[in-house]
Amino acid sequence: MRKVLLVALRDYSATVRTKGFIVGLLLAPVLLGGGILAVRLLEGHVDTTDRQIAVVDRSGVVAPALLEAAKRRNESEIYEQETQKKVGPAYLLEVVTPDEGEAQQQRLQLSERVREGELSAFVEIGKEVVHPGDDAPEARITYRSENPVFDEARRWIAQAVNDRIRSLRLAEAQLEPETVARLTRWMPVEGLALVSTGEAGEAERTSELQAIGIPYALLMLMFVFIMAAAAPLTQSVLEEKMQRIAEVLLGSVRPSELMMGKLLGAVGVSLTTVSVYLVGGILAARYLNVSQSIPYHVLPWFAAYGIAALFMFGAMFIAVGSACNDLKEAQSLMMPLWLFLVVPMFLWLPVIKEPTAGLATWASLFPPFTPMLMVIRLASPVTIPAWQPWVGLAGVALATVLSVWVAGRIFRVGILLQGKPPKLHEILRWVARG
Amino acid sequence: MHAIEISNVTKRFGTVTAVDDLSLSVPAGCVYGFIGPNGSGKTTTLRMIMSILYPDSGSIRVLGEERRQACNDRIGYLPEERGLYRKMRVRDMLQFYGRLRAAADVNREVDYWLERMDLASWADKKVEALSKGMSQKVQFIAAVVPRPELVILDEPFTGLDPVNTDVLQQVVLELQANGTTVIFSTHDMNTAENMCDFIFMIFRGRKVLDGALTEIQDRYGSDTVRVRIEGETGLLRGVPGVERVTDRGHLQELRLAHGSDSQQVLEAIAARARITHFELARPSLHDIFVRIAGPEGEETGDA
Repeated sequence: MRKVLLVALRDYSATVRTKGFIVGLLLAPVLLGGGILAVRLLEGHVDTTDRQIAVVDRSGVVAPALLEAAKRRNESEIYEQETQKKVGPAYLLEVVTPDEGEAQQQRLQLSERVREGELSAFVEIGKEVVHPGDDAPEARITYRSENPVFDEARRWIAQAVNDRIRSLRLAEAQLEPETVARLTRWMPVEGLALVSTGEAGEAERTSELQAIGIPYALLMLMFVFIMAAAAPLTQSVLEEKMQRIAEVLLGSVRPSELMMGKLLGAVGVSLTTVSVYLVGGILAARYLNVSQSIPYHVLPWFAAYGIAALFMFGAMFIAVGSACNDLKEAQSLMMPLWLFLVVPMFLWLPVIKEPTAGLATWASLFPPFTPMLMVIRLASPVTIPAWQPWVGLAGVALATVLSVWVAGRIFRVGILLQGKPPKLHEILRWVARG
Repeated sequence: MHAIEISNVTKRFGTVTAVDDLSLSVPAGCVYGFIGPNGSGKTTTLRMIMSILYPDSGSIRVLGEERRQACNDRIGYLPEERGLYRKMRVRDMLQFYGRLRAAADVNREVDYWLERMDLASWADKKVEALSKGMSQKVQFIAAVVPRPELVILDEPFTGLDPVNTDVLQQVVLELQANGTTVIFSTHDMNTAENMCDFIFMIFRGRKVLDGALTEIQDRYGSDTVRVRIEGETGLLRGVPGVERVTDRGHLQELRLAHGSDSQQVLEAIAARARITHFELARPSLHDIFVRIAGPEGEETGDA
């Protein structure tokens, strides 16, 4: 055991002390947070260049109201209230008299003006826009610009035109807009958690954060927990094998001790990484005032599944490293292992949507998937049958013992074997014969 | 008491027999040299002694035990190449290797050896910063911290300059003086001649020489004569009783045919040319090696 700990300690400090580890540790959340931040920043960063938009109003009743709405908007909405800083473009509308005879010719002219940069878009409003009937062509409203899909102005115009049309229709029907608003008021349906104690008061509201955010964060954390330490084991074993370090080490430690030491070192590395993220996450949750959403009851499960998974996958990554001569050879053998780790990442959404459905239940009871999928099921607001996490844990424990046993047999032969890489059937023979 | 007893060991890799029915006893406390051409089975034999490889048949006892695992704190091993963590600092790595062997006073021991091998100023450098010769010395320290009973060194002198070779040779002899059994393989016949109590030569997987240097030389007899003559060295060709003439520059080395008399050869040469030097010599280990493993040996088969 003393030797196992020595190996573990060396492996741990060899990993944790590297610049790469520290940079990676800091970089992962920075990249993730930075991505979100970048989206936020870009959202705030709008092109404030004023837009010249031509309006061809064949109905004759919309354009004046549109001019009025644009004027209102340009005076108030595009400036930040406190600083009076301009935060959006002004829409400068130019009403063009429709040329009824040569409509197509007029479109061409306006399009040319857009291409030349004189206009940013032009709008055509159909004659029958107030009473469209059955989708008559005369009732269409069209907006043409170089990129109409991502054009904020189009949305504003749609809103403004429809406001005008609606008020015209209401006036015809002699209805007050306030009455209509009162009559057609929309009532939302709130998603609430179940009541767990008899206490009175408002049951806590189940938020998207709890239903999706937290399970997803735990899934990612579990992935990081396994990957941060398991995958580098292949390279570390390859180094020890190819640099003949193993020959020296195995003069002092048994292969099983060496392997266990490496696995323990990996657990240490992962615990370090995840502790940093977990503490960071909890502090962030406190800061954002959502700390009541943290599912503390899942954390012991997370630790148990995570450590078992690390042994289960880590042993296999070690076996792969010991059987190969370089990283390239190892890559092909690592593929199936990656698959076991990546498939839960694809299954997480269906699992989180229906945590008690057949797919979620069976997939989360399949040992290689259990650590990731059972944790998100536990973290979801839906209650899953109490026996399932235990059965899952038993399955993971069994699979881990099997994996470590198989890997041990491959490791003790492979680590000292030089020369051409073994075929798969040879590796299987090592496992069978020992 | 034997440190190592190898009995009838055979090891095959596929169709190649790397070691063929080898038996060898290494007495405790001696320095034993393994020589032999490249690919003859030296490293395989050493790796079997280390239990890194297992023999297909036969048995190996090391320090009185039949070994099943490579793990043994009483043995130090220097592999043929590398064996070091490139990213670790020299002192940290040596202390790690030492602690794995359950040593007391590892730190002091490591510092002693770093000082002894003139590496103290490199103790806090990373292994990857060392030259080949320096890493060879670090590797040696890894094998001898903390003073195992048996030290197995695979090509310990390769890559060392003459100064460091001398240091390492000195240290090996010191180890022996303290009762350690040392086995090393080498290509340098001078080193083997100067240092080893016993020499073992393996050729094509079979033992061809085994014993003290003097015994081996006796076996090959005084069949070598070194001559210097005035005039054409070509005059030495075709002298009766001489099997082979080797030009050694300022001397000609003659190997006498089996059963021929050196006095008759002397007379025969004297009849042809004026002799300025005539010396009866024992064949050097180098000669014996070349005789066995050189083209001549290959033609006549195993010695």
